[in-house]
Amino acid sequence: MTSPIFEMRGISKRFDATQALDHVSLTLYPGQVHALLGENGAGKSTLIKVMTGIHQPDQGEMLLDGHPIQINNSAQAQVHGIAAIYQEPMIFPDLNVAENIFIGHQKGRGVFVNWRRMYREAEAILSSLGVHLDVRSQARGLTLAAQQTVEIAKALSLKTRVLIMDEPTASLSVHEVTQLFDLTRTLRDQGVAILFISHRLEEIFEIADHITILRDGKLISSAPVSEVTTESAIRDMVGREMESFFAKDESKREDLLLSVRGLARHGVFSDINFDIHHGEVLGFAGLVGSGRTDVALALFGIAPADEGEIIYDGQPVWIRSPDQATRLGIAYVPEDRREYGLVMPMTIAANISLPTLKRYLNRLGIVDKRKEDATAEMYRERFSIRTQSVRLSASKLSGGNQQKVVLSKWLNTEPRLLILDEPTRGIDVSAKAEVHHIINQLAGQGLGILLISSDLPEVLAMSDRILVMREGRQMGIFSRAEANQETIMAAAMGQTTRV
Amino acid sequence: MRKRDWRWLLRWESLLAVILAMVIVANIQISDHYLGVDNFVNLFHLSIEKIILALIMTLIIINAEIDLSIASLMGLSACLFAWLYNKGVPAQSAILIALAAGTLCGTFNGFWIAYARLPSLVVTLAGLIMFRGAARILLEDRSIGLFPQWFNDLGQPNFVGPLSFGIIVFIILFVVCLIVLHFTAFGRYVYIIGNNRHAARYAGIKVRQTKMILFTLSGLVSSLGGLLLAARLGTVRANVAEDFELDIITMVLLGGVSIFGGTGTMVGVGLSILVVLNLRNGMSLANYSGNIQTSVVGILLIASVLLPNLFRAVRRWSAFSFRSRDMMSKDEEESQETQQTDTVGSIAN
Amino acid sequence: MNRIRQIIRPEQIRELSLLLIILLIIIFFGSQIDSYYTSRTFQRISSAVMIIMVVAVGETLVVITRNIDLSVGSIVGVTAYVAGEQVSIHNDLPPLALVLLAVGIGTVLGLLNGILVTYGNIPSIVVTLGTMAIYRGVLVEYGRGENVLVRDLPDWLVDLPRVNLFSIGELDIRLLVGVAVVIVIIFQLVLSFLPYGRRLYAIGSNPDAARMAGLPARRIVLGAFVLSGALSGLGGFIYLARFGTISFNAAQGLHMQAIAAVVVGGINIFGGSGTMFGMLLGAILMGILEQSLIRMQINEFWKDAIFGLFILLAVATDALVMNRLRDIWARAAVQMREAAMSEE
Repeated sequence: MTSPIFEMRGISKRFDATQALDHVSLTLYPGQVHALLGENGAGKSTLIKVMTGIHQPDQGEMLLDGHPIQINNSAQAQVHGIAAIYQEPMIFPDLNVAENIFIGHQKGRGVFVNWRRMYREAEAILSSLGVHLDVRSQARGLTLAAQQTVEIAKALSLKTRVLIMDEPTASLSVHEVTQLFDLTRTLRDQGVAILFISHRLEEIFEIADHITILRDGKLISSAPVSEVTTESAIRDMVGREMESFFAKDESKREDLLLSVRGLARHGVFSDINFDIHHGEVLGFAGLVGSGRTDVALALFGIAPADEGEIIYDGQPVWIRSPDQATRLGIAYVPEDRREYGLVMPMTIAANISLPTLKRYLNRLGIVDKRKEDATAEMYRERFSIRTQSVRLSASKLSGGNQQKVVLSKWLNTEPRLLILDEPTRGIDVSAKAEVHHIINQLAGQGLGILLISSDLPEVLAMSDRILVMREGRQMGIFSRAEANQETIMAAAMGQTTRV
Repeated sequence: MRKRDWRWLLRWESLLAVILAMVIVANIQISDHYLGVDNFVNLFHLSIEKIILALIMTLIIINAEIDLSIASLMGLSACLFAWLYNKGVPAQSAILIALAAGTLCGTFNGFWIAYARLPSLVVTLAGLIMFRGAARILLEDRSIGLFPQWFNDLGQPNFVGPLSFGIIVFIILFVVCLIVLHFTAFGRYVYIIGNNRHAARYAGIKVRQTKMILFTLSGLVSSLGGLLLAARLGTVRANVAEDFELDIITMVLLGGVSIFGGTGTMVGVGLSILVVLNLRNGMSLANYSGNIQTSVVGILLIASVLLPNLFRAVRRWSAFSFRSRDMMSKDEEESQETQQTDTVGSIAN
Repeated sequence: MNRIRQIIRPEQIRELSLLLIILLIIIFFGSQIDSYYTSRTFQRISSAVMIIMVVAVGETLVVITRNIDLSVGSIVGVTAYVAGEQVSIHNDLPPLALVLLAVGIGTVLGLLNGILVTYGNIPSIVVTLGTMAIYRGVLVEYGRGENVLVRDLPDWLVDLPRVNLFSIGELDIRLLVGVAVVIVIIFQLVLSFLPYGRRLYAIGSNPDAARMAGLPARRIVLGAFVLSGALSGLGGFIYLARFGTISFNAAQGLHMQAIAAVVVGGINIFGGSGTMFGMLLGAILMGILEQSLIRMQINEFWKDAIFGLFILLAVATDALVMNRLRDIWARAAVQMREAAMSEE
């Protein structure tokens, strides 16, 4: 039994309200592909960031070859032989392949750049991986898969001993995935310890030697691949006590509000079909990158679709701008409220009035601040937004209250269709419950709601029906009765298909 | 309403007020003439075109863009006016044509920036050269003057009371900009786009249209400034308004407007205009040459960005306790700083 | 076609097109101007271009890192003046010392620029706009209205522009021109063969990745500004040799010509790509245009309008056409790879 190359013991990390990692332990052995599974928010990316020095753990320790180490920044991680490659390659588009591999560590090669030697060594590394690339070609022109290969070659050239691969297959074709796996096996056979993160169960079973599953920041299970089945994996990923969630009232399924047929955006999503009725909550489930937000952005006009029909209130519409969408009565509460949902330095009142500012202008075109404040006060009371004043900057609020401001802002546009993208992410439990209550109320008032959420219990509790997406495709629509955590997760991971 | 670090901004404007007071006191010491009405009027009058342009520049920089071509456009419209008049075109028509041409140039800039999404730094840098070149083509080596008396009168003090026409324009424009920027929807949009272009778009704001409007206005105001300059000087040469950009940008940045967009107030710019004008005036009274004055303005420009950076660095040093709330590690903070050192990217995007 | 695509990249096509345009322009002017293809024409153009070339080398280094240096004109003015003044007073100052003086002053001024940009975290547009004014102001005060006069300069300096490096028949290649060309070659070698040069490209290409790869971004950019200052200092020396009489507004507006040469020469204003060779072509193109238009007694002032137009064209081309070309190249490369793979 070889000794572990890298160990994490009892690592914990907290961000504001969320415990991202809770006493997680992990052991990596050289020459082993160790898979990390978990749904969105389970703690995988935080774990990677701790390993690569971007975050420092609040508790716990890490050991390299049995010795405790500190990883305070990415440079230190590199020195320890830990490297990561991500879905989006970090390469220099203007430099060629060989340079991308060797830039930053050309020391000890004399004063001048020895191009011939660089090309030779680059070719050597690439062929040791069983890959053939023109080392003279510009990195910009490479496919994503090839760029990833370059990154792996770079890691090798740095004598990396622990390689983290974060969703490397997400944008690859089947053929490219096969090639990547060959590469991975080659690396493994060379003694590198590989931490492999992916959502594709079939891939995990194909490549991994050992599987660790995280849920809500905790370690749930860690076992050799032979002891894991699809069912047990899914169960470990989602199985949790259904907390007392605010279950949605049975909706009075009224008339049709929105009808989407054959909606597609090339290269992003295709063949999306669903209906939303007044007063109905349609949940959108799926893993990160499944394309749910893209569908929402198509409905909201930020990234319009290329094909398909959108029939809104009985009329076909062609939504090309957010302004148009808002006028139609469609509102979108974005996933990233700090970046897209709120203007942080502005006051709460100004944020709330923003999309509807025209309503607050007096005859001279001046903003009537009193009217604005009154509106803000109304929402403050209605949603119990905890703040000393509506004239404070939005950045001073807690996550939950910020989210309420975003909600207020969009509800103020008097929408008929409300699209919510991860509305309770990063907010505390009580605020979460309040938001659910609000959603329930709104549906009761006849709003059609499209609820995108990676929080399975939330989706299950709040939706009348659930549409599951995977990698840009629609996997099925589940009714309330047939939906449960396992079936949804299975569909999200492509294990079953439903009409 | 601008509420980012309310207190910090208040401090910046208070700082400016204090500096202004100091400069005024120093000026009083330097010369008895300083407190005379004549001197005060002159103080504004001699730089009137620059300060008018600083007003529109404020809007553009808050919008996270920049317009380096304003001074050249001033020169071009002055030259165009002079050239047309010299060819026999009636002065009023020449004025209108010059204004129209300037506005068109602004729209030309705006098109490349708003719709082709080229960085404003580069587009207006090209404009700076092109417009100046066009001015030189028109006027070559000559100087044209002898404009109608009524035109010249517009450029002199004592037009209305002791004030010149230009000063009145400035005051009106200042009030208008103040109201638009701080009290209207358009002004809010300008801030938001400068602060966070994406959030603006997601809120339904028409980003491209706003930028187009701003650069078109810039063209209009630049040509107006050029005409005022022609009126004030009485003669026009091809190199008129050369290097005005320095003063204009300094007045804006010194006024608390961040070069990265999203912050700044009209009041701050108003104060910094007063500071720069009084500083120049004082230096003139003390017989310092124009070149020393320009160097001092250059120092002010750098200082207006350097000092806040230093303060921030000092605050970060002493605020280690904030680390736990910060989701960024030193690495990510540094990456944001690196982004600030690449010019084209930061001003353009 | 694909073989060609493999060997030549879009950037090189751009440079070839420039070369073509230069040839076309020469032919055009040759047909319009008497005795155009003479040694005299070559001298006029090369002596006009040699200063720009040296300064533009420094500007290229800075632009590759995604920054800009507007103060080069002021630095040339300062160094030309101070060097001229010193040698007027101490006529026996050795030539090497004079050159070192000019370069040294330029280095210090460039260092100040670099420190403000990298450690002060001030955008280079703001810094160099300010230092452009500051350095010029310092020059004026230092000079106190007195020009450097040719008659005070030592003979070797006054004669320097006419010193020949070698002759090809009737065509004399001047020493200073040769020096300028050598500088361009040296720094092209730096860009191609020195790790430092490659890192300049890395930082301009992807600043985040550069940091992640552990590159000392600050020091690298600082170096670019220092070099730009030093080269402007050298340019100042050459300026002094060429013009002799230096007034306080010497080299005013030079930054525009340097930037024009850089942008027209295909150096991407966003950084990350471009070669000295391209800059050389850009400088030559501008120089030929300028001098030939003067010869034709067309308005000298068209120069500025054309400069601006060329800059805009260059940038627009880069933004609109080059990206499309790069996409075509990338797609072709993928097709080739897939073809190669299916053959396996």
